[in-house]
Amino acid sequence: MSTPQNTPMLHVKGLRKIYQRGLWNKEETFRLEADFQIDKPQVVGVMGPNGSGKTTLFELITGSNQPTDGEVMCAGQNIHNVKYRERDRLAIHYHQSYQVRHFRKTKPSFMMERPVSDYPMVHLFDEPQFNTQDGYIGFMLDFFKRLRAEGRLVFLCVHPNEKFHVKIMREACESYIFVQKGQLSFADDYDNLLENPDVQNYLGALAAY
Amino acid sequence: MAFFEATHLQKRFGDQVVLEDITLSFEADQLSGIMGPNGAGKSTCFNVLTGHYRPDGGSVVFDGKDITGLEPRKIAGLGIARSFQIMTLFDEFSAIDNIMIALRGTVTRAFNPLYDLPGDSTTMDKAADVLAKVGLKGRELEMAVNLPYGERRALEIGVALASEPRLLFLDEPTQGLGVDGTARLADLIGELKQSYSIVIIEHDMKFLFKLADKISVIHWGQVITEGSPDELRANEWVQESQLGEAASC
Repeated sequence: MSTPQNTPMLHVKGLRKIYQRGLWNKEETFRLEADFQIDKPQVVGVMGPNGSGKTTLFELITGSNQPTDGEVMCAGQNIHNVKYRERDRLAIHYHQSYQVRHFRKTKPSFMMERPVSDYPMVHLFDEPQFNTQDGYIGFMLDFFKRLRAEGRLVFLCVHPNEKFHVKIMREACESYIFVQKGQLSFADDYDNLLENPDVQNYLGALAAY
Repeated sequence: MAFFEATHLQKRFGDQVVLEDITLSFEADQLSGIMGPNGAGKSTCFNVLTGHYRPDGGSVVFDGKDITGLEPRKIAGLGIARSFQIMTLFDEFSAIDNIMIALRGTVTRAFNPLYDLPGDSTTMDKAADVLAKVGLKGRELEMAVNLPYGERRALEIGVALASEPRLLFLDEPTQGLGVDGTARLADLIGELKQSYSIVIIEHDMKFLFKLADKISVIHWGQVITEGSPDELRANEWVQESQLGEAASC
């Protein structure tokens, strides 16, 4: 199956996820907001402090978490309308090392759509474990490049705390998303990313590499 | 078409996706390696390729015949032998008995009351040949349980060879072997490679880099890269790792 020309690979439309606590006096504890569009295959680096909403964003894009508002269109298809077990044919979330796919079910599967793709269009790597001793990093970076060359969209989330993490990001990523307190900011390249004082603050001494 | 081809294999256990999409092929008369970090799905992949698990999607073709979902014994009957990560020997039997049990047709003949198995010199000779192949000449009458670990591993490979396989699968053969044992096993497999088509699943990269003609790297339940040891070694990150150092000496 193919997708119509000019359909963005990923369109995150007015997406909001609000977490609240309390039954009567509801108090907002976390709010993630995102609104962006990516038209072409690329490798997008995602960075941000712990608890800033990176994993929540990935869960919303892959349809394992239900948004409060807005929608996620993958290859023109609203991922939250796709059958649960087949959502990973559109967008797939790779956790650190294990692959558990769990979806919050809101309606029966038979009422939902089949995915337009049979191999994931969007691949989201959530803090993959990198070990410089065994050389697998090189194979993983090759894989990201191959996915991109095959016309896929790749998100690579890394929380840099070593020099080689920055090296990986600079080698693999063409553009960047920085997530802080549930807000996203975008950069076309690494230098552009570093112009953001919040990013400099976050990277600290690593920004120099 | 390759000698052995797996296409778009998928395997899930409930919510857990172990094989996302595996496409692999192995050529005859070659040693093919599959490697990957812990939890990459290597053993599940092995079990799907050899018929011990039925895949949720995809196909496996051996020498032009679709063997997807076939029972393990039927797959074995077509000439695919496998070893297991845990030892599967008859401990109270001698080395040669372990091989004789695995020889084709031995068991059926043994049920025939008119047939004298220990007196059958052809079967004995065949079994002795197999033992010699795996470096266990002179150890024929030793009970399996009394053999040192490295020789047990060799005997296990002998059991797999007894069925005269056309393709031999070995699951983490270096498991539990020390440096010496691994080096001796590498010599043995280097020998066997001359006369058998072999597939080895292994996390020990150095071992595979030394022996394999082609290596497929598995991670996240997918083949993330493939190539000859030289091609994989050329990667800058591999060069900088311990493996690069080891591979260059």
